Parts: sequence; C-alpha cells; structure tokens
Amino acid sequence: MRVIYALGIRNLKVFVRNRTALIFNLLFPFFFIFVFGEIFRNDFIENPVSFMLAGIIIATVFESSLRVSSNTIDDMTSGFMKEVLVSPISRLSIAIGQFVSSAVVATAQGIIIFVIGFFIGLRITSPLTIIYAISAMVFVGIVFAGFGLFIATKAKNIQTFQAVSLAITMPLTFLSGAYIPFAMLPDVLKWVGYFNPMTYAVALFRAITLEKTHLPTSELINEELAFKIGGVMIGPMEALGILLAFGIVFLLLSTLAFIRVDFSRMNRIKDDSIEI
Amino acid sequence: MSVAKHIIEVRNFTKKYGNFTAVKNISFTVDEGSIFAFLGPNGAGKSTTINTLCTIFDKTDGELIIDGKDVSSQKASVRSAIGVVFQDSTLDKKMTIEENLKMHCVFYKVPRNEVEERIRFVLTLVDLLDVRRKTVAALSGGMKRRVEIARGLIHYPKVLFLDEPTTGLDPQTRARVWEYVIKLQREKNITIFLTTHYMDEAEICSKVAVIDHGKIIAHDTPFNLKKHHTKDRAYVTTSNPLLLEKLLDERNIKHTLKEKYHRIDVENKADLLHILSECKGDISDIEIRKGTLNDVFLEITGREIREGSAS
Ligand SMILES: Nc1ncnc2c1ncn2[C@@H]1O[C@H](COP(=O)(O)OP(=O)(O)O)[C@@H](O)[C@H]1O
Ligand SMILES: [Mg+2]
Repeated sequence: MRVIYALGIRNLKVFVRNRTALIFNLLFPFFFIFVFGEIFRNDFIENPVSFMLAGIIIATVFESSLRVSSNTIDDMTSGFMKEVLVSPISRLSIAIGQFVSSAVVATAQGIIIFVIGFFIGLRITSPLTIIYAISAMVFVGIVFAGFGLFIATKAKNIQTFQAVSLAITMPLTFLSGAYIPFAMLPDVLKWVGYFNPMTYAVALFRAITLEKTHLPTSELINEELAFKIGGVMIGPMEALGILLAFGIVFLLLSTLAFIRVDFSRMNRIKDDSIEI
Repeated sequence: MSVAKHIIEVRNFTKKYGNFTAVKNISFTVDEGSIFAFLGPNGAGKSTTINTLCTIFDKTDGELIIDGKDVSSQKASVRSAIGVVFQDSTLDKKMTIEENLKMHCVFYKVPRNEVEERIRFVLTLVDLLDVRRKTVAALSGGMKRRVEIARGLIHYPKVLFLDEPTTGLDPQTRARVWEYVIKLQREKNITIFLTTHYMDEAEICSKVAVIDHGKIIAHDTPFNLKKHHTKDRAYVTTSNPLLLEKLLDERNIKHTLKEKYHRIDVENKADLLHILSECKGDISDIEIRKGTLNDVFLEITGREIREGSAS
C-alpha cells in the first residue's frame, strides 16, 4: 500500500509540475465540445446536450489516461525505472501505482468538464448520479490506463508510443459513439465498434449521466445506451463486465511486462550521467 | 583464516548483445563481508556483470547466485538482498533530492521513524543537505552523482553493488564516501562489490578480479597480485655508474640506465642492500617503488588500464 501510494503521488506530481501538459490537458476537452456539439442535435435523442457531454467526458477520460501512461516511457528512458525495478517491491504494485495516478488525472479532467457541463445545459435530478458518474470515470480511467501502460511497456520510446496511441485512440474514440452516433456509421464500422471496449464505456457512462440505468435494457437500445448484437443484449451490467475483464487483462499484461523487462535490450542512453 | 561463506557465486557466466559477446564464460566467488573489486578498462564487461547480478539484465548462459538465490529464477529474493549504485543515472530527475531519497526508503521498507535521520545522514555525507529541496534536473553532473550515491547508501543490504561509485567525485567527497563504505562493511558486515579504475581504491579491497575483454585474467588479493605479477624497483642515482653496474652484473641483477638514474629490479632486498653499501659514497639518491595494480595490468595485458576513452 505504501508503495502504491508513494508511486501514485509521485506520478501526480510529475503531471502537475509539467505546466505545458497541464494546460493542454485542461483545454483539450473544450475543443471537442466546440467541434462536435452540432452533430448530436438530431431527433432520436431526448436530451442532446447531456448526451453529447457524457460522450465527451468519457472520451476525455479515456484519452487522458492513455496519454498520462506515456510518462512511464520517460521513466524508462531516464533510467528511473531501473531504480524502481531493481528494488524488491512487487511488480503488481508498480503497475497499479502507475495507472491509479493516470486514472486520477483522467478523472480530474472528466470532473472539470462535468462541472462546465452544468452551465451549458447538463441536467441531472439525483445527487447520487454525481457519485455514480465519478465512480464510472475512475473505473474507466483505470481500465484504459492499464491499456496505456501496456502500450508504454512495449513501445520503448516516446515517439513509438505517440504513433501507436494515435493509431489506436483515433479509431477507438471515433468508433465508440462518443463523438459520432452509431446510427451515422456504415454497417461495417458499426461492427468494428461492437468490438471496441470504448463503446461500452461510452454507453455505460451515458446511461448513468442520463439517469437511465434503471430502465430495461431493451428501452436503452434506441439511444445507443445498450446494444443488441446478434441475439445478445448488452446493457449497463454487461458493459461493466466487459470493461472489467478488459482492465484486468491489461493490468496483468503490464505487470508481466514489468516482470519480464530486460534492460540490456533497451536502447542505451548516453546522457549526463557522468563525465570522467 | 576461517572459511567465509560465498555470498556471490558466478559460474560460466556469458552475456551476449546480439552477436557481440561482452562477457565470456567467467567464474568467480565473493566472500561474505568482503570488499571485492572488478578492475579493468572501459568496455571490459564490468557493468554488464553487475547489471546481470542485479537482476535487470538477462544472462545468456551460466549460473549466478547471490546469498544462495538464483539471480534469474529467484529475482525477488535476490532484489531484497541487494543495493545498487548504477554507473548510469537512475535518478528521478523531475523530483527533488529529498523526494528521491524518500522514495528509496519506501522501496526498501526503511522504518518510517528512521527515514528522516538516514536521509539527513547520507546527504551530509555527500554534502548536499542544504540543497535537498532542489529538483534533480537542476543539479550539476557531479551533484547528481552524489545524490545517486547517497541514495544507494540509505538502506543496509546484504550486498552493495557500486559501479564506478567515485568516478567524477571531488577528492574530499571520495574520501568520505570510502570511509563510510568501509564502515558499512566492518560494522554491518555488508559485502561490497565495486568496479573501479582507480588503483588506490582497488588497493584496499579484500580481493580484486582483473577483467579485460570480457574475461577475468587474474583474481586474487591485491597483495598476491602484485607479488606474482610485479617487481619492486629501485631508482638509484650515483656518481660512479661503472662501479654500480659492475656490482649488479656480478650478481645478475637486471638494470637499465634512465637519464640520470639506474632502474634496478629488486629480486632480493639483501643482495641490493649489500651492493648499495659497497658504493654508498657515490650515491646521491635512492627510491624504492612497490609494484602497483596498474603494473599488474600492464604485465598481464601489455597495456595501461586507463588507456582508451571513458564511457
Ligand atoms: N546494452 C548494450 N547493448 C549492446 N552492447 C553493449 C550494451 N551494454 C554494453 N555493451 C558493450 O559490451 C561491452 C562491455 O560493456 P560494459 O559492461 O559496460 O563495460 P565496462 O562497464 O567494463 O566499461 C562494451 O563493448 C559495450 O560497448
Ligand atoms: Mg561500466
């Protein structure tokens, strides 16, 4: 516990001390509100503003947790990861420490948009919804930070990570229903979207924000808060299960990557270590 | 002498980087509680061996054991028995000196009530106490190295690896660090495994392995290494070189004339004293030099240890 806490706090400090990244991360979501606001003004959605905001919030959480995970690569190339990995602390707590902090940063961003949302038309009736929504953000943040951490452990340098995460984030967010409703996608892409875990994060989070989790799954399908794929119904509970499984798989994979890491295969860094 | 336990055992260790073999089938042991040094030029394979012993490089072949645990299959137990100061920087550059040291205390489960005191102590040792709130990135290269060493000395492992610990340090800090390292070895029975190319540092170690091109070419106490691989030499200045040369030749002692003095190999001190007393009226200067570990290296490889570029 002491290790997870210490690593988590440390990663948060790294994030906060990098002013440029901090400002960029805070402004980023506004860009999406601006660009995608119009798309959702159509008639099959009851409350377009809330609907749109929910999508943007969760997509931001997703992107942010993925991006923050890339700090792990800096730690690899700076040599600090050697100090971490040569110590006797458990590899699982290293992985958890890394992605709990990503999730915290991501959630903080999500909350900011959530608050702004109230000024531009987000409506909720029960205060409980806020608690559910924040829990969902933390959960989604953790799940995708695990995913990001895994890519980070494989990428070995920041350029590769950026290229790979761009190649992954773009399709994952755009084929999740967060910015573009499924109804507007061609059938082929819809099917791709069904295999996208982000789709279920978006649906789950929207169901919570629109306060519709108590409705029968069949009534959620119209608004893309649930899906019927083949004969299988995927409602909020199933979505939760899918995300949980996805998160655990990547937690284990990144722990495994930390167990297996062999620094003699890393690019050797010549830095300011010592001058003789 | 009592038989000490072998805290480190390395058998037929080989490490390849792609097609390049950096360490070639080396074997050696280190006694518990001793100070052991790897002495060799850059690129000899010292860091490669240390990194593999520390569990962060995978071996290519062989067997490496620390405190009875296999370095490849029992990594976790090996890690809790060791401490390391790597040659390359492994500091958390975005954090302050103090934050770096505190994190280390967490990693190595230093009891909470001792953290403050130990950090104070090691920072005083390397003279960084006043700047402990500075971010590491803002420090000079020498200061960073001192933070690295301070951090490595915070906890008490069974085996402490120091990869060129004092390279780049000022003489005072170097002396203080050494004094403390020897204290750790004596008082806490910590085994010290270091690499160096400072002769005077290797000199005070219990055992030295001379390593070159990935092979151990000699492994013994500094005393024995010098005894077997070097000769003491006398440097004599005399006003009557002919007499000195005649006396030396009579006893078959090797000598060479170098500018103003004669360099004489000392095989037998009594013989030499005898000769010198016979021409004592002519002699204006005598100096006897002991063989050094550098001479050992020179003798075995034909090269100076510090030739070539630093890395
Ligand atoms: N990660 C690496 N990849 C490829 N070659 C390496 C790597 N690390 C070291 N080497 C090479 O292996 C040899 C031994 O290096 P090293 O163990 O660092 O020597 P030393 O510490 O004795 O100076 C050198 O020729 C070096 O260039
Ligand atoms: Mg080295």
